[in-house]
Amino acid sequence: MAVLGIESSAHTFGVGIVEEGRVVANAKAMYKIGSKGMIPREVAETHIANAPNVIQEALKEAGMKFSDIDGIGYTKGPGIGYCLHVGMLSAKTLAKKLNVPITQVNHGIGHMEIAKSRAKLKDPLALYVSGGNSQILKKYGESYRVLGETFDIGIGNMLDSLARSLKLYPAWGSTVEKTAEGGKYVEMPYTVKGMDFSFTGMLTHASKMKDRKSDKDICFSVQETAYAMLTEATERALLLTNSKELCVCGGVAQSHRLKRMLQGMADEHGITFGYAEDTFNADNGAMIALMAEQMLKHGIKTKLQDCTIEQRYRIDEVKLWKE
Amino acid sequence: MERVNEGAESIMYETKIAGVPMLIKFRNKKLWRIDKIDEELRERRTRKEAKLLIYAKKAGAAVPGVAAIGKYSIFMQKVGGKLLKDSKPSAHDMQTIGRYLALLHANGITHGDFTSANILLTKNGPFIIDFGLGVFSNSEEEKALDLLLLERSISKKDYANVRKAYTSIAKDHLTVTKRLNEIKKRGRYQTRTLA
Repeated sequence: MAVLGIESSAHTFGVGIVEEGRVVANAKAMYKIGSKGMIPREVAETHIANAPNVIQEALKEAGMKFSDIDGIGYTKGPGIGYCLHVGMLSAKTLAKKLNVPITQVNHGIGHMEIAKSRAKLKDPLALYVSGGNSQILKKYGESYRVLGETFDIGIGNMLDSLARSLKLYPAWGSTVEKTAEGGKYVEMPYTVKGMDFSFTGMLTHASKMKDRKSDKDICFSVQETAYAMLTEATERALLLTNSKELCVCGGVAQSHRLKRMLQGMADEHGITFGYAEDTFNADNGAMIALMAEQMLKHGIKTKLQDCTIEQRYRIDEVKLWKE
Repeated sequence: MERVNEGAESIMYETKIAGVPMLIKFRNKKLWRIDKIDEELRERRTRKEAKLLIYAKKAGAAVPGVAAIGKYSIFMQKVGGKLLKDSKPSAHDMQTIGRYLALLHANGITHGDFTSANILLTKNGPFIIDFGLGVFSNSEEEKALDLLLLERSISKKDYANVRKAYTSIAKDHLTVTKRLNEIKKRGRYQTRTLA
């Protein structure tokens, strides 16, 4: 079975092809984020312009023709409405034209499943960290449980906003990580409640410091504090669920520092820690294809006229199957 | 000194001081975070927990007595007994728990992890332990969360006895209950208890 997956929840329009659980193509085109962040309409327009090329590129990478595709998957949500729409329309068009089944994938589950598959884990606890989301997840029976999550904004969103407020470009997490090198610690608000955490207080605090402290020190302190918060909440969830495996997924999983902290924590408890390569942690179509293939194999598909998008599509609403 | 339990952020040791059995809760170092954050957090949390225990006792709830406070450790009384989750409590026990919770709340203390795994049943009645996630707070949300966590971890009958004692003492039980019902309606809490 070969399944084509389309991801378009935020700045990336990605098309991946998966054949029997193996990723054979992972093409993407990104909206270039300027000083104003993402402007939804502009992002969607960029996606519309890129869609045909990215789809062709994926087929070429896989060495396939349209007729080789046996199913389509797309991101139903969560994400930016305008952007999700582009992915949904592309997917519906393809499914109709090729006369193949279509299925709707939750973006976060895509992230978690590809990390699981690339790191060869069976039943991990997952820390899912991206722009809009920060959650601690575990699968129980046929659905995912959210054990802990952010009270306000996602960690990625916080790092991006910090970069913009300090006028660092490109304004995203990896720039913060680079700027942080060799910084000194200044105190930041540390907000963890059980397995939940909050980031806006730190963002405000850090932004107010920008005239008194160097960018280097601010970035270093925010990063160390925020990642320590995530690691602590994850540690608590690990002990509570008695998990033997841990993975980190989502865009912020590209951070070296975060992975190092989680590795250190996992080692202390003798737990296996894994993650996917960076290209699969950033938003991508392959993860949607991977999940869509599994869903179609379990008979989960959607009628064309019932395909929708949902901007706030929660992971714990999704019903799947028992392992 | 014998290691008796290891939690997410601390290790419990048992020892005898002048012949009296004592428990030591030691917040251990986490190598994965930088020293400044690590030391600051451990020190601050140790102090806060000790303070919560002392004030909880003053409020009239049965909690382990604090004998001494170190930089990262609390020396406390060993109360013995069995965890509520592993025992069969009487109606009277559950009412006592409800009364203790009401007393804590009335004195601005919320426990933060009020489950059957953090209550001991001893021959001197129930004891509330582990204030590691506790806060000094008068917020309805925190109070409601204490009740919610307990409700999720015990039987309906036991919870009814807790409620009976709680509502007879807590002056603000109506607003707390209202908040409790709101929390239950929030999607995320419905899916958060463990299997």
